[in-house]
Amino acid sequence: MKKKVIGLIDGQSGNIGSINKAIKDIIKGRPYQLKIIKSHFNYTSFDKIILPGQGAYATLMSNLKKLKIIQPLKKYLQNNSSYLGICVGMQILSDWGYEDKTTRGLGIISGDIKKFRNKKLIIPHMGWNTINLNKDDTIIANSFDKKDFYFVHSYIFQNIKKSDVLAFTLYGKKFPSIVKKGNIYGVQFHPEKSHKHGLNLIKNYILKS
Amino acid sequence: MLKTRIIPCLDVIKNKVVKGVNFKNIRVMGNAVEMAKYYSLSGADELCMLDINASYQNRKTFIKTVESIAKVINIPLTVGGGVSDLSDITDLLNAGADKVSINSAAVKNPKLIRQASLRHGSQCIVVAIDGKRYKNKMKVVIKGGREITKNELITWAKQVQYLGAGEILMTSMDTDGVQNGFDSNMLKKVTSSVGIPVIASGGVGSLEHFYLGYLTKSTGLLAASVFHSRKYKIKTVKKYLSSKGVPVRL
Repeated sequence: MKKKVIGLIDGQSGNIGSINKAIKDIIKGRPYQLKIIKSHFNYTSFDKIILPGQGAYATLMSNLKKLKIIQPLKKYLQNNSSYLGICVGMQILSDWGYEDKTTRGLGIISGDIKKFRNKKLIIPHMGWNTINLNKDDTIIANSFDKKDFYFVHSYIFQNIKKSDVLAFTLYGKKFPSIVKKGNIYGVQFHPEKSHKHGLNLIKNYILKS
Repeated sequence: MLKTRIIPCLDVIKNKVVKGVNFKNIRVMGNAVEMAKYYSLSGADELCMLDINASYQNRKTFIKTVESIAKVINIPLTVGGGVSDLSDITDLLNAGADKVSINSAAVKNPKLIRQASLRHGSQCIVVAIDGKRYKNKMKVVIKGGREITKNELITWAKQVQYLGAGEILMTSMDTDGVQNGFDSNMLKKVTSSVGIPVIASGGVGSLEHFYLGYLTKSTGLLAASVFHSRKYKIKTVKKYLSSKGVPVRL
């Protein structure tokens, strides 16, 4: 049987060690192989792509540009291929990011990434918070509803279509904590740091669909 | 709703968790990797580990310990102790730390905070502040409280936020190690002066102390002895806090 190929993009935006380890543990003994993407790649040769990201939107976009990853990634996403973006890896799916400087995103899910506006809030939003599912999903099933995940971010998805928001979280107000369009998923939290529910989410993403 | 984080802290020499920072009465509490794994499984929201004897000889083993711990836990890991420059920060992040905590080096060279947060992002730069009352003022101290700096505590806390710290790990040297409770007064002054998360540290001895720590608006509560000595399990603390209406991850 042909092995499914999972790509893990190293956008040099934080350490990919935890997510790498999590994926390896999940696919052990299963018909999958993991490839780290560090440069231009053939987008037709991957079944799933995961992009973790920390730090700033502009930095990740410029790193991906330097590594010549943007073009194949855009084509991959425009084909509605399976993708999981984590934190900034989710944020760059938007049209524009407003962190540090205004930066054009991948433009896959319409909306902008802007700072939490409430001045009374402690920023970054750091720690464990609950996700509330708007609807059931094949990958992010009902069993994840009302579970806690680890967040650390100061910017959120805004001006997004309601239909693209799979889950929201409360911090001052509601913000999208999981976005989804077709086979493209983005999570604002860090599943690789979110203990068992986080690992289950990664597992579901890899094994289901 | 955002949960209050319960954070066990491991004071580490090489690969052993120890108790007693005054280098005289060091007692080994256990193996760092095993203890980290245990805390991650038993409900810790985050883990903090500090190299309390960051000598050249011990550093290599310590970094290896960080690597081993990062491999066996899946909660955030903050690492500090002996961080003096940007390359130390990079080394720890590469070893698997999610956040790096800077203390004395930040006091000596505040620009380090800005450089580190620009390079790696504010979210992974924690500034540890040790505070102590001196001549009716709250001052910043270094070297485990033995050296009082010219920095006034609140001014320094605001400055580290301005320079790009993502979080403050606030230890009161007036209450640390005594197990009579957090320094509520000092913590409240800090949390009301900054807009970034503050972790309360120093002095926990009872369940009620955790609750009083929560009331200071600190979003993380750090403790060492009460966990290492098995006086309380993390679940016990969380259940207690939950019964008092504190949002925690159960």
